[in-house]
Amino acid sequence: MTPAVDASPLSGLLTVPRPEGWEALRTAAEARLTGQELPDTSLEDWKYLDLAALRDLAFRPAVAALPALASADVQPYVHPEMMASRQVFVNGFHAPHASCATGLPPGVRFFPISAASEACRLLGTLGEGAPDLFEDLNTARFTEGAVLLVPQNVRVEVPLHLLFLNRPAGDGALPTVLPRVLVALDRGAELELVEEHHGEGAYLSCPVVEIRVAEGAILRHERIQRESPEAFHFGALKAEVARGGQYHSRTLSFGGRLSRQRPRVRLAEGAEATLDGLALLGGQQVADTHSFLHHAEPHGTSRQLHKCVVDGQARAVFDGQIRVAPGAQVTDAQQQSRNLLLSEKARVDTKPQLEIYADDVKCSHGAAVGQLDPDELFYLQSRGLDPEDARNLLTYGFAADLLARIPVASLRRSLRHLVLARTQAASLGDLA
Amino acid sequence: MNSTFTGVTSQEYKYGFVTDIEADSVAPGLSEDVIRFISAKKGEPDWLLDFRLKAYRHWLTMTEPDWAKVAYPKPDFQKIVYYSAPKAKAPKYASMDEVDPELKRTFEKLGVPLNEQAALAGVAVDVVFDSVSVTTTYKEKLKAVGIIFCSFSEAVREHPDLVKKYLGSVVPYSDNFYAALNSAVFTDGSFVFIPKGVACPMDLSTYFRINNKESGQFERTLIVAEEGASVSYLEGCTAPQFDTNQLHAAVVELVALDQASIKYSTVQNWYAGDKDGVGGIFNFVTKRGLCKGRASHISWTQVETGSAITWKYPSCILLGDDSIGEFYSVALTNHKQQADTGTKMVHIGRNTKSTIISKGISAGDSSNSYRGLVKVQPKAEGARNFSQCDSMLIGQTCSASTFPYIEVQNRSARVEHEATTSKIGEEQLLYFQQRGIPAEEAISMIINGFCKDVFRELPMEFAVEATKLLSLKLEGSVG
Repeated sequence: MTPAVDASPLSGLLTVPRPEGWEALRTAAEARLTGQELPDTSLEDWKYLDLAALRDLAFRPAVAALPALASADVQPYVHPEMMASRQVFVNGFHAPHASCATGLPPGVRFFPISAASEACRLLGTLGEGAPDLFEDLNTARFTEGAVLLVPQNVRVEVPLHLLFLNRPAGDGALPTVLPRVLVALDRGAELELVEEHHGEGAYLSCPVVEIRVAEGAILRHERIQRESPEAFHFGALKAEVARGGQYHSRTLSFGGRLSRQRPRVRLAEGAEATLDGLALLGGQQVADTHSFLHHAEPHGTSRQLHKCVVDGQARAVFDGQIRVAPGAQVTDAQQQSRNLLLSEKARVDTKPQLEIYADDVKCSHGAAVGQLDPDELFYLQSRGLDPEDARNLLTYGFAADLLARIPVASLRRSLRHLVLARTQAASLGDLA
Repeated sequence: MNSTFTGVTSQEYKYGFVTDIEADSVAPGLSEDVIRFISAKKGEPDWLLDFRLKAYRHWLTMTEPDWAKVAYPKPDFQKIVYYSAPKAKAPKYASMDEVDPELKRTFEKLGVPLNEQAALAGVAVDVVFDSVSVTTTYKEKLKAVGIIFCSFSEAVREHPDLVKKYLGSVVPYSDNFYAALNSAVFTDGSFVFIPKGVACPMDLSTYFRINNKESGQFERTLIVAEEGASVSYLEGCTAPQFDTNQLHAAVVELVALDQASIKYSTVQNWYAGDKDGVGGIFNFVTKRGLCKGRASHISWTQVETGSAITWKYPSCILLGDDSIGEFYSVALTNHKQQADTGTKMVHIGRNTKSTIISKGISAGDSSNSYRGLVKVQPKAEGARNFSQCDSMLIGQTCSASTFPYIEVQNRSARVEHEATTSKIGEEQLLYFQQRGIPAEEAISMIINGFCKDVFRELPMEFAVEATKLLSLKLEGSVG
């Protein structure tokens, strides 16, 4: 049986005093948390993700890294394209010395959420569907994060960087970071945002990102999860895309012992969304993506391609739901789940779902689980590659397909190197 | 919206009449006493009563499943009549002439080929009428080749060892809520045994029919094909029209040994309720086949057009190496019908293969969901699955959903799933109409084309019936 939160390890996080601001939001979240149990696998939503590992642990809020990270520590994570458009957070605390937002066009505001007032009325109002335990935890106790506001018709040329570095020191209890991000693009605005999570050691990270894309605005969002192999990551993303707006995201999951991405996107009339994902897993990792794409109004378009490469004893889960609401005619939705199993003990569970309440729609989904194509392997071998190199090269190709369109060159290069190393294809030379 | 799709009218249920026969029933309600009564009434051996009681006690600990995408008032299990047998004039009929003429007329109206009709159709029919098998034809002919085809009660009396060996071996009494209930209170059903090396010389067929207003139908079917045996089994279902909801919780178990082959075809047309969703059958059925032997083969084909609520997943457990499982389904819902149906393919043995073809058609205010599981266990080297699930929507107030679950634990497996959703294109209709084919007929032709991959798998008589049934059910929905 699962213990109630009061008796569960997470209760340690609720005993700290409630931070200032957003009182109503926090009270509601806390009320939902009270008495709520850690979900177990008998619940449909958690069927493939066993949280048993969390039950043996106690959690406490992370403290600021001491001594504060020197800029040299942050340097490896900074991309030249985003030198003057970055906000850095260490253990969930804003790192002003490592941040720099001077390179932004006038009117664009990019600042720590602790400096925001409750006048930011959007917070907590975006997205739909019931929050899960980890999102509620964030809402009840978040203290820091970022706000990004882009005014009407401003097209931001430089990409923006949101960097979360986690180096919490353990003292028996597991440190927990609860970053909160709010992004709002006004009408006709356009922006490219890179969100990265890096870490070392064991900790729990529960970021919540809320996004509002107004009429005709375009947001491109790269999300890179490179938490440490011992970390737990439960992320929520809630996006609302207004009439004619576009939201394109790519979520790349490499790290974490146990992780879940939970994007939920609502599309208004004529809006477009891309919700691509890649999970590259090995060892004992479990990575889960639970997405919900809601075509709430007519003439929307969505594309979702989710790929998993699973090695070792790792396990990948994909649960992707597309809903076409009554009256959302002429919706065009396509969803693909493609999976590659590399080892005997690897496992994948995929559940693409379509729920359709309108008749004039074009919706399709597909799922495939398999191994490398023997013909392709043979082709490479006939060109002189040994079987292992041929396998690695094809594996790299399968995964790297999703990296090709990352617009920030230095980021694209570093991710390609990472994928090359993870697929053991690096020996073939610098393909990046 | 195109005006072609607007005129939704009710299609009256063709089979809605009640036969007035004095029934021999137990009072409504469920308890250990009722189970003992059923068992005693049927003169069952102690082991079977034990099986029922164990199932009942386990059922008491279970809760009704709610994960399916269907909404309905939960049945009150204390209001159901668990035993209702037509009162016989004699313990057993010597010939067809002794069968209650009222009953015979019922079957004539249903168009069940019985006696001479059966001979013409070349079909042996085991008719289940409110839980007790009334007459069995062709038994002698089948007996000559060693095939046993009889009612479940008779099998318990005549072949207890076979029943004991296989009953619950595919669907254990603890399997799920409705299977447990069925295991506790089932009254009759069909039993088929095909001995080693025998190919059944004809298609076997059973008609099920629910007649008593308050009675639930809990039938039990068990089909065993020994090494190298093969059989094709047809099941057709209709129920008269009542404005209360009736529960139908059947269990079907198939066992295929080495190189055996079982083909199970269903045309289900239980009463679906009226156009406002009043009445209709709750069809909560557990059907499962076990490919126990090497290179065994089980194939399910279903045409689901009836029932207010359908909750049904004919499945294959592919245990034997090289075994094959197939599922072909057409599910049509109209008015307020709700269907959550699909299959499970569990790959356990090496080089096992499965194919899933599902076609869902929703019209009116109905909800039609495909839910399927493809599971590849770690030892299932070389497993292969292909699934294709297509949905068609007719009108703006219906819904179609696809919920495939794919769980793979073997890297050599290849699993593919594809699903599409579409509607009947206005250009398609125009094309037909230009050539002088009226809209209604055109739609029927388009739908038959849409379902072709499934109809092809049905035995001839069923394919003809299914085609007619679909146009009948959709009559007035379009055009």
